[in-house]
Amino acid sequence: MTPKTILIGLDGATFTVLDPLMAGGVMPHLRDLVADGVRATLRSVVPPLTPPAWTSLMTGKRPGEHGVFDFFQKETPDSRYFRFTSSHDVQSATIWSIAGDCGLRSNVLNFPLMFPPPALVGCLVPGGWMPWRQLRLGCRPAGLFDRLKELPSFNPRELSHDMALEEKVLEGCAAEEYLDWITLHTRRERRWTEVFLYLMREEPADFGAILFDGVDKLQHLCWRFLDPALAPKDPTPWERDVRAACLNYFRELDGLIAEIVAAAGPDATVLFASDHGFGPTSDIVYLNTWLERRGLLAWAGDRGARPDATHQVGINQIARHVFEMDWDRTLAYAATPSSQGIHIVRRAPGGSGGVADEDYHRFRDELAAGLMGLRHPETGRPVVAEVWPRDEVFAGPFEPWGPDLTVRLEGDAVVSILRADAVVGRRPEPAGTHRPEGIFLAKGPGVRRGEAVAEMSLLDVAPFVLHSLGLPIPDDVSGRLPVQTLEPGWAPPRLAEPVEAASRPLVGASVAADPIGAGVALDAEEERLVLKRLSALGYLE
Amino acid sequence: MPLTHKQILDAVLELMTELSGDWEYSGAITAETRLLGDLAMDSLDLVILGGELQERYGQLPFSEFLAELGKQEAEARDVTIGELVDLISRQQRATAPGGVA
Repeated sequence: MTPKTILIGLDGATFTVLDPLMAGGVMPHLRDLVADGVRATLRSVVPPLTPPAWTSLMTGKRPGEHGVFDFFQKETPDSRYFRFTSSHDVQSATIWSIAGDCGLRSNVLNFPLMFPPPALVGCLVPGGWMPWRQLRLGCRPAGLFDRLKELPSFNPRELSHDMALEEKVLEGCAAEEYLDWITLHTRRERRWTEVFLYLMREEPADFGAILFDGVDKLQHLCWRFLDPALAPKDPTPWERDVRAACLNYFRELDGLIAEIVAAAGPDATVLFASDHGFGPTSDIVYLNTWLERRGLLAWAGDRGARPDATHQVGINQIARHVFEMDWDRTLAYAATPSSQGIHIVRRAPGGSGGVADEDYHRFRDELAAGLMGLRHPETGRPVVAEVWPRDEVFAGPFEPWGPDLTVRLEGDAVVSILRADAVVGRRPEPAGTHRPEGIFLAKGPGVRRGEAVAEMSLLDVAPFVLHSLGLPIPDDVSGRLPVQTLEPGWAPPRLAEPVEAASRPLVGASVAADPIGAGVALDAEEERLVLKRLSALGYLE
Repeated sequence: MPLTHKQILDAVLELMTELSGDWEYSGAITAETRLLGDLAMDSLDLVILGGELQERYGQLPFSEFLAELGKQEAEARDVTIGELVDLISRQQRATAPGGVA
């Protein structure tokens, strides 16, 4: 069996970086694929962030419809405590579960939110925050991990998550560590490709999907070495070496892509997608400091982590707000920088703190107006470009789990949740951060050739994949088939007839009748214990 | 019918032995083996291991368990495999028909 469709995920890929690399000969295979296929800007979801965005790609739905908003999920809609997002939070059918329902096999490698492993017809090696020590627990079917261990180059430590290494992405890494760190990611992509090619040979599937996440990591840490607009005119030897290592990463990645495409054969549809794009960032907006100055947030005593030299908050510190804030005097707070969201503290029945139900909309509207009125201290220009209430941006059954307000900042600014001396700060060197404009590339039967077409939504990727496999597109999917990418009138042989979402048996996705935790109301003691748990895990200090 | 303490211990020891075979750990895995001090697991490992055990044994009071762990001094903060098994066994008895914690 040769695959019908191959999805190659390039986490965070942007044409800003890829176009010069293709034009400059660093990625000749990708350049040729583009010439033989179609390309489009792929607009991500709100927020343009790995967990919600890849889940939107897998499901064709928005976060309010699939249930994933961030790396962390609220314990309950009104809880101030957060836990790691897991596969149980993906409350929708996925492209691989739909394929399985229709009798097709899928091999899925390195995608996030795949632990605990969902049922899958085919092979699964999970990605995301799957620690390398327990990678075998996430591999399916049973016995797959032991078979992979027999591969000469198999090395789970390099393949999967290592907390100490991941923190360098956000917390920065010493100059002397850059080259080793970049080289590790170059090797890691090779490791994933070897597993993918092995499965293509030994466990042939109709649909194969592999995610290369080093693109995102390199761009976070090394943006100034990748963005042609930021290239130093007179680079130091170290800057030259880092730039060369980055280019080598993309050169190697291009070679790996060529191997996968060759193995897939000429009749396969091959598509590339990123969950979001990337761009430079220099300004930092300290949302919790802004809230503090408006009297809406109070720190507990001297608490409140202040920015260090990198101006970033790392994974281990992300949930520390629970310890940092005086909850009797806090009405609104930003929980994580990644979500770009502000949560409003709701008054508990019989309680005195928080915002009462009857005041909620007025409070939220005033908060949104205040954000829109925030001005940059140097330029006087607006800092916030847009503010969305959650019923607008997260409409769907999981809306209550989203932040009450979500912001999009102007220019190149990013959100920080740290306590600072000023609302707006500036980092010493530009770094990389997420942008909504990702990439879509495809080639194969029925796909237009050599064309750049109109922008697509990330939600449209799932319909494209299902269509390429000859599968029906469920009627509850919010994306649409991107007809601008296809030859007019072309359609693959139908493998199954459309069925209504409500009647479709779901093999792969665990869909609960209610959102996870919907029936769970944590009392004060339980919330205290959750807090303690987070502390024990090192997420709080 | 809840599993016996010995059945759970044997199964968890088998799991941890299998996992540690993938690491640079060559010591014996026993009920006294410490997850942090001996096996060098980190906080994310504990989250994932907790998820796996709950997949196998049903909902566990993992939050409370880790909360107790968090109360300990940093140098003494650790958990043995035997303590994890005790937790599972207690919960199995508590959730069995007519069971008490």
